[in-house]
Amino acid sequence: MTTATVSRWDRFRESFFWYSFKRDKVAIASFAVLLLMVLAAVFAPLLAPADPYDLAQINIMNSELPPVGMSGADPAFPLGTDAQGRDLLSTILYGTRVSLMIGFGAVILQAFLGILFGLLAGYLGGKVDAVLMRIADVQLSFSTLMVAIIVGAVFKASFGNLMFGEIAIYMLIFIIGVAEWPQIARTVRASVLAEKKKEYVDAAKVMGFGTRRIMFRHILPNTLSPIFVIATVQIANAIISEAALSFLGLGMPETQPSLGSLIKSGFDYIQSGSWWITLIPGLVLVVLVLVINLLGDWLRDVMNPRLYKG
Amino acid sequence: MALLEVKNLDVRFAVRGGDLTALRGISFSLDKGERLGLVGESGAGKSVAAFSILNLIAQPGYIAGGQILFEGKDLAAMSERELRKIRGNRIAMIFQDPMMTLNPVLTIGTQMVEAILAHRNISKKEARAIALDRLQKVQIPSPEKRLDQYPHELSGGMRQRVIIAIALLLDPEIIIADEPTTALDVTIQAEIMDLLLNLCEQENVALMLITHDLGVVSQVTQRMLVMYSGRIIEQGPTREIINDAQHPYTQGLINALPQMGEPGERLFQIPGSMPSLKNVPKGCPFHPRCKFATEQCKQAMPEYVRSGNVNVACYEVANLIEQEKRMQEAES
Repeated sequence: MTTATVSRWDRFRESFFWYSFKRDKVAIASFAVLLLMVLAAVFAPLLAPADPYDLAQINIMNSELPPVGMSGADPAFPLGTDAQGRDLLSTILYGTRVSLMIGFGAVILQAFLGILFGLLAGYLGGKVDAVLMRIADVQLSFSTLMVAIIVGAVFKASFGNLMFGEIAIYMLIFIIGVAEWPQIARTVRASVLAEKKKEYVDAAKVMGFGTRRIMFRHILPNTLSPIFVIATVQIANAIISEAALSFLGLGMPETQPSLGSLIKSGFDYIQSGSWWITLIPGLVLVVLVLVINLLGDWLRDVMNPRLYKG
Repeated sequence: MALLEVKNLDVRFAVRGGDLTALRGISFSLDKGERLGLVGESGAGKSVAAFSILNLIAQPGYIAGGQILFEGKDLAAMSERELRKIRGNRIAMIFQDPMMTLNPVLTIGTQMVEAILAHRNISKKEARAIALDRLQKVQIPSPEKRLDQYPHELSGGMRQRVIIAIALLLDPEIIIADEPTTALDVTIQAEIMDLLLNLCEQENVALMLITHDLGVVSQVTQRMLVMYSGRIIEQGPTREIINDAQHPYTQGLINALPQMGEPGERLFQIPGSMPSLKNVPKGCPFHPRCKFATEQCKQAMPEYVRSGNVNVACYEVANLIEQEKRMQEAES
């Protein structure tokens, strides 16, 4: 450090985090693939050759065309078309977008609930802790899918298919987010229990800080590393949960398919030889989840306080 | 009126199988700008006393009786909201281990600015200026750079300077320093102690210094308290106590100093160890280790007697004073 003021960027470039990232080929590759997929999803409206949501662009005569390189392929549809004649490439781009939105959205909701309840339970302890953690236990004792199926089915029945299609994305974020918050809450609580015994918390009390300020400003930043690790893995889990729900017909409707609903829609035609409608979105899903999990593993290694202090 | 007056303070810990008394009938006072030493072995209740002054004893501890009067108002009876206005603002505290007391994920500047903004209604910029001023006061090299650094980028001595700077942020009336130098190198210890002493004199801040280093106490403080097993057994002007300790325990502590030993001889030690709070002996808690112990000592806690300017709780001392008085009467 030669300059008097060190910018955040300089600090980042000197950090152990950046150093270990540069040295880990798997992490770099995973990050590159993920970045590519996220960018492709974000800019899907610009990149996609067709708009799969626009019914006017779809021609049923183009249905079940194979990908380029096979006999009967149409060069206008590089990855072929699905059973309704939608361009598969465009549909996958839009589908990845939906899947990622649900993944991130659900994890943001999970993190919000998990951090809030975890902090309260860990820091206040006593009855608050007992009540919140029992709620978490109850929540965890139901499988996510089961809760999601029940809630999804109830909503679908009460709102009707059309209405459900419009709110499906928020519904899924809500269901998956609420079903999985205890994972984060437990992690946060465990770290808070360790942190609150440290002397800097006493020092903060002595300085006259209030409980809220100590919880959110002093303890929370010290518990962020495990939250980051678990949140990364949870994004992958949320994407899989959403795909599973969609595959069961309780997720995204076919008019605005996610990767899961695409796999499902292709599944009906797989016996008739149109394997690409299922296989290609399936591959995209596997790669997406894999790179997120690999990044999560790497993050866990880097941020494990037992391996690295600072 | 004294700035801080502690009257008959009892602190107990509610544990399984009944309450443990950590502090029993503690009374002392602290004037504006005065420096008071609090000495005793580990477990004598020094730190509990410090925390209870701020009414911050951790569960399961609680204040069972007595008053802590700060400018005449009882801190033991105050609401949490009122207490918060005093903590850090009027009474600041310095802890033992500078490695632990700073939040590792916030910069020094952030922590200092936060502390100011918690008590003063001023802009961040003004708060930062105050923080910088205090860092200059504690003579940290390149203070401006330190504001943007994290605690792990500083050495132990520098961190303790930062902590002193934080204690001084809001111009408190009292600083309670709980063994501020024990975690530091011997060379740094002297520097930090000097700094603390000078700043307290300069700013006319009262200092309550908790330590088990009698050398530091004799250099820095004007009055001192000696604690044993949750009681104050001797209190008075530091010089008088150091030169002519009355209580057998204080005498033992002073004789145990390495400086008091002869070359080639074993250092003096007080036999035995301090009783645990779970089975404090009846009567004077020191009697099992005291060579002057009599039957009387095993019966009840001795009252304070005055010897010169020193208050001592010891039957032996009381008897000696009594004898002297009788001899004087016989002479006249």
